[in-house]
Amino acid sequence: MSYEDFQKIKIFCGVIATIGLYTVLYKENKFYRFFEHMFLGLAGGWMLVTLWTESLKEAWWDAMMGRVSDAGTPVVESNGNYIWALLLPIGIMGYFVVSKKHAWMSRVPIGIIIGLWSGQQFSAWLKKYGPQLQASMSPIAPTNVESFFRPVPTDAADLVEIAKFTYPSQAIVNLVALITLLSVLSYFLFSIDFKSKAMLGMTKLGRYLLMIGFGAIFGSTVMMRFSLLIDRMYFIFIEFVKQTLFGLT
Amino acid sequence: MSEVVEPKSAETKSLGEKLLSIPKPALYLALILATAVPLFFPVPLPNEPKDTAKALFAAINEIPDESTVIIQSDWTESTRGESRGQMDILLRMLMRKNVKFAICSAADPQAPEVFRNLVFKLNAERKELKLREYKKWDDWVELGFYPSAEALGQAIAADIRGAFAGKRDAPPGGDDRPVFESPVLKDIVKVDDLSMYLVVTGTKSIIIAIERFSDKVKMGGMVTGVMGPETANYFYSGQLKGLSAGLKGVYDMCSLEEVAHPGTTKLKREEQYILSLHVAIFLLIAAVIVGNVGVFLTRRSKP
Repeated sequence: MSYEDFQKIKIFCGVIATIGLYTVLYKENKFYRFFEHMFLGLAGGWMLVTLWTESLKEAWWDAMMGRVSDAGTPVVESNGNYIWALLLPIGIMGYFVVSKKHAWMSRVPIGIIIGLWSGQQFSAWLKKYGPQLQASMSPIAPTNVESFFRPVPTDAADLVEIAKFTYPSQAIVNLVALITLLSVLSYFLFSIDFKSKAMLGMTKLGRYLLMIGFGAIFGSTVMMRFSLLIDRMYFIFIEFVKQTLFGLT
Repeated sequence: MSEVVEPKSAETKSLGEKLLSIPKPALYLALILATAVPLFFPVPLPNEPKDTAKALFAAINEIPDESTVIIQSDWTESTRGESRGQMDILLRMLMRKNVKFAICSAADPQAPEVFRNLVFKLNAERKELKLREYKKWDDWVELGFYPSAEALGQAIAADIRGAFAGKRDAPPGGDDRPVFESPVLKDIVKVDDLSMYLVVTGTKSIIIAIERFSDKVKMGGMVTGVMGPETANYFYSGQLKGLSAGLKGVYDMCSLEEVAHPGTTKLKREEQYILSLHVAIFLLIAAVIVGNVGVFLTRRSKP
């Protein structure tokens, strides 16, 4: 069998599996179940092999056992370091979570992971939100009114020069961002019972702005789901029917 | 004794009720047609690239020729519709500039294989076009899959050589050697030495990477539509130098590259995708309008 024939069979199998999975739109059926289980089995098997070949083999096994070059004359490339073996029982302890009697053992690896993760969070939080807090403090008064919109830079030097100023359009955007920030924050101030009309209006505005934000995110999510379907249609009709069956480009 | 309500037949249903009871299979069929038919009749749509994509395009073009970047590839066939286009245009731009790249994955074990297949396809295309083939080891290396994005990010930020210590790769037909002996990574001692760190993902792994080392290296992101709005914050705060989100992002990047280097991208394929997307969105809007008209007519007809 040639490589091209193998590719055709591979695409054909992919098409059958795609159609099989979409049959659930009609109703739950055995055809769908078969491909669902096949997909899960393949994904599980693939994950196990990949974890070993792409990750554990070099990062753990070779480090523990040492490495001998297999090119021509054997040469020791790195010595073994058996302290790495200690990771195995710690890892295995994690699986005792399924045993009622020995579940306490699983707390050891879980505790180590949580400890490591928690330690990282201090610097991670600052690196994540620090620049965003800084960026949200933008001027709301224009510093250059020669043009309403920010001019298009002609070169890198021009870009630096333009960046020094806040143009009216940017100031308006910054003002909208500031109002959004304050009104949304006020919506989440549950510990204070607002009485004044101004503050009640502020929290209401915050709620509406949140809804607009969620709507935009939802719209983007829907488009992404469509793109998944479009890609499957492309796979079936263009890559399989047009290109593979009819040999058209 | 409760009264049994007989379902109304099609003849006895009012227009509003008919609009509200369009059978689901008919809607699915309409959706399949709406997404499949435009694929056969691609029409270029007017497009104004977004600032985020323009910035990413500029940032990639600013990467010095023949320098080294790391690509974190965290996508698989499940987000192929968007992520394949993202990775495709990214690799074409890097290959045009002879930029060397090392590739790692931290979200899905299938990601390395999916990436490998794409590089092989691009190399086959370059061979046909009589362009220089991108050679494993000399031009690109694989850094493997890491099951914890947090641990990988932390390790890269602290000591990139330690993070990938023991990782080996080989030229085609040659013996494997440590990746830091390769022309791609031999001059990389710390993460700052990279020209850029690019993440192509359908997950939150880009945010984990930003949290760990966005202050040390220029970062660019190519994400799916779902991750787009959330990731945009990091662009506007300067943590990302550029961002391409969703199909629109791919279309933007391809359009920009086509203007600078005509005939070097898969713009035609992206035109097919984006047209289908627009038709599908029109169908969705039509369905929402029909549903709302149905509700309005039904309520009005009630005594």
